[in-house]
Amino acid sequence: MTAQQQEAIFRRWLDTHLGLMLKVVRGCAKAPQDQEDLFQDVLLHIWSSIPAFRGEAKETTWIYRVAFNTALAWGRGERRRREGHEMFLKLEGPPQVQPSHVDSLAELEIVNRLYAAIRQLPKVDASLALMHLDGLSYQEMAEVLGISENYIGVKLNRIRKQLEEQLKGVTDEL
Amino acid sequence: MNFEDLQKAWQSHAAGAKVLINADVLLKEVRRNQRHFRARIFWRDVREVGLCGLMAWVFLHWAMRDRAWPLYLMVFACIAVGAFMVVDRLIQRKKQPAANDAIKACIEGSLLQVNHQIWLLRNVFWWYLLPLAMGLAIVTGVSVWHSRHVALVVAGGCVYMLLVVLLYWGIYRLNQWAVRKSLEPRQQELEALLASLK
Repeated sequence: MTAQQQEAIFRRWLDTHLGLMLKVVRGCAKAPQDQEDLFQDVLLHIWSSIPAFRGEAKETTWIYRVAFNTALAWGRGERRRREGHEMFLKLEGPPQVQPSHVDSLAELEIVNRLYAAIRQLPKVDASLALMHLDGLSYQEMAEVLGISENYIGVKLNRIRKQLEEQLKGVTDEL
Repeated sequence: MNFEDLQKAWQSHAAGAKVLINADVLLKEVRRNQRHFRARIFWRDVREVGLCGLMAWVFLHWAMRDRAWPLYLMVFACIAVGAFMVVDRLIQRKKQPAANDAIKACIEGSLLQVNHQIWLLRNVFWWYLLPLAMGLAIVTGVSVWHSRHVALVVAGGCVYMLLVVLLYWGIYRLNQWAVRKSLEPRQQELEALLASLK
């Protein structure tokens, strides 16, 4: 694979799957500085992984794998502040929502609380929750994690109950 | 609100954050990072293996000049330690998990690597310190044996061996500290992650 091809794929993935990468980052890191740091690591690993991509796995499965593996490794005390490095991205807070859009505001609050609840889960459960909320099939989740679909089902039942329980008060308020 | 409603709210809000990316700077940074990583690995290998090579060369030069056969043992010990490092590094590089492996496989691969690192550092005495120490002991012993000023050489040799023992003790303790401080917590974390997937 040439450098140009690698760059083209990288730019296309950024356009198409940026939301996916950001969800993983927000689900695994809380502070904005940590999110930026982790996001940079995720992008670096995705770039490095592109030459090995043969199109046998779905792009989303591939990116989930790289992003989660990076997030899991990053959580092991390997946080690096890129002092002296050029910052290539700027994460801004959630988009401003007009107060009149009550439904959007309520949904935004739910999403923020969901992120907070996901960050409370054990790391593997958090990754499952993120993929499940994104609507991945059991088979896709099994491919990302490398475990059986049956086990995914068992774990998801528990995770769904946990999230519903944690979000119960919030949804009642809204 | 049930889980399906939560999922609907989640999917309707995309990532929930606005991102400004300078793609050109990003690519530059990505390439710079890769170069930096490769350079770091290369210089680490040069430092560790190069030191063994340098010591082997010094002892070889010394052995040939003085025609002292015990010094060839030191040459052999240095080369053996350096070769062990190279072979071990090559084998471990092949076993390194890829970032795109399934999460379980990646965790298992990382755990194997951490376990191997712990094994290496716990046994640093056997594969690093002992071969060099034995070579040094033989060189010192032979020097004493051939010396006319036995008392002087014995005294000097004792001081020298004491310094070597102290240095080795420091190296050993430093390695065990690294195991406790960074590798064992990482090993425990990986084991916990793996347990959550079983």
